[in-house]
Amino acid sequence: MKGIRRVAGCLLAVSALVAVPQVALAQKGGKKPPAAPAAAPAAPAAPAAGGDAIEIDDPNAPKKPDTPPDQPATPPAGGVTGGICDIDPTACPKQSDIKALADKKVAAEVYAVEQEFALKKGRVEVNPYGAFTLNDQFVSHPAFGLTANYYLTNVLAVGINGNLFAGLNVDSDFNFQNRRATRVAVPLTEYQWSAALQFSYVPIYGKFSGFNAFIFNYDVYALGGVGALSTRPIAVIDPDNRKFDFKPKIDFNVGVGFRIAFNKWFAATLELRDHIYVEQLENIQVGRSQAEQTDPNTWLGDKPLTNHIQAQLGVSVFLPFGFEYRLPK
Amino acid sequence: MKRRNFRGAYALGIAGLVGLGVLGAERTAQAEEIQLTGPLAGAPPVRKLRQHRKGRFEIAPAFSFTLLDEYRRTMVVGATATYNAFDWLGFGVYGGYGVVAPLTALSENVNTSAPRNPRTAVNVAKGDFGAQVSKMTWMVVPQVQIAPFRGKLAILSKVFVDTDLYLHLGLGFHGLEERADCAGGACTTDVKAMASRVAISPNFGLGFKFYTSKLVNFGLEYRAFPYSWNRAGLDQRGGGNDGKFPDQKIDSNDQTFKFNQMITLSVGFAFPSQPSLSE
Repeated sequence: MKGIRRVAGCLLAVSALVAVPQVALAQKGGKKPPAAPAAAPAAPAAPAAGGDAIEIDDPNAPKKPDTPPDQPATPPAGGVTGGICDIDPTACPKQSDIKALADKKVAAEVYAVEQEFALKKGRVEVNPYGAFTLNDQFVSHPAFGLTANYYLTNVLAVGINGNLFAGLNVDSDFNFQNRRATRVAVPLTEYQWSAALQFSYVPIYGKFSGFNAFIFNYDVYALGGVGALSTRPIAVIDPDNRKFDFKPKIDFNVGVGFRIAFNKWFAATLELRDHIYVEQLENIQVGRSQAEQTDPNTWLGDKPLTNHIQAQLGVSVFLPFGFEYRLPK
Repeated sequence: MKRRNFRGAYALGIAGLVGLGVLGAERTAQAEEIQLTGPLAGAPPVRKLRQHRKGRFEIAPAFSFTLLDEYRRTMVVGATATYNAFDWLGFGVYGGYGVVAPLTALSENVNTSAPRNPRTAVNVAKGDFGAQVSKMTWMVVPQVQIAPFRGKLAILSKVFVDTDLYLHLGLGFHGLEERADCAGGACTTDVKAMASRVAISPNFGLGFKFYTSKLVNFGLEYRAFPYSWNRAGLDQRGGGNDGKFPDQKIDSNDQTFKFNQMITLSVGFAFPSQPSLSE
């Protein structure tokens, strides 16, 4: 099967090599063919006009006999036969050129990924996943999330993304140990949800052979988006007096992902996504008086620019399940 | 109660993922092109494969940085030397030295904000707190590399690069500079004494290699090396009925488990410079 495809591919390539120069040369250089006889456009059925050179665009057009019985074998003066050598003799391939081309050394190795395994244009990708925090050693923010992308082209998609963190935040034991030993507390926050509008772009795709026994395809994508992330401080400095509500913050998303295709519509995904936002931390200073301690205006502290990097493991389902290639393999 | 509900949600989510996986796996088997019955039945999926590893020795200078550090980050300069007996299996050693080890913001914060009084005397130096924070000084890891996945990728449909994904597994010897054991008055000195020790731990992870030419490749690798150590020289354990309370001593009880991780970037040079081709 692959051999047949290769042979077919070679034939196609040879055909393309033969055809491409002709088409290109026919359009070259603004050298318009000499003015055709006035009768030519008015009489398309008349083979003498030579206009049937555009048969290449109309395979159903009736073929002109090589030498019509009622026409001379040579074209009329100033007429056009459609051959490149007649239109532009300087562009006519010479035997020596063809020989040089035939002798040209080519790299026998095949480098290119022949054909993208799964086309995406016009399809919707639904990507549920589980996420965990990569860069917060104090509080981890695991989440369940969902991304839905619509592919405008095979490489560009617009989509939405959402995460649910509520109830899943984990305050590390380390925070307590550190507070007890050094009497210094790290302000902590917890997340509730996030939502974003995003674009993703697929610059890299390829395939892997596993143990030289099977092949699977993959691609790498980058994404960027903007949305909201709802967070609040965890009261660790003065938990007796302070209580905080969740508030959404503007959240910029950038990320990169790796998608392994199991078939044309089902894939596994691994994504790294950075939520970039301005966090609101708890004030590490506690008021001296009871009135100050219970005043909510004294509870909030720094607002650092924060990167929350999460790893997402999930699956992707492409809808509709099927598609057709524009060209054969 | 709330936690239980979310455990249920976890279970449901995992069940859903497994279900989708089963669905997908079934279709995968049907879609595999190697299930041919013609003359190509049983043929390998790739012929004339450039075997970038098989029979070649590779030396790969590397730069690494640790992840999720609490008190001190470490940047490691090192190298991996590997002999690949097969295209999928290699034996070698990774070695590195921690050249730069900056403190984290937390350490700086402790240094400037921690009260120096009898309650913290065991744990916080009167002078520079950073001096008592542990360091990874060196590491040597005999290891095997297994490369089950070999392929190629297209970048912007213009550049094509041979690639492989490999797993590595080894036994690591990690040189640490850690707070020295002490008891009683020896623990409350203004400057905390340090000592060296070697921690032995499994090392494992995975990586990608991008073969930009027959001689040179670029690598990106993740490495985990979990072991217990006292990252900031604090008295955290050893006291109480269950040993989970401070005991005013610094000893091995204060070493807590840490899933140490790092990312490595490398440039590899493979010899002989010409890879072989598979059949």
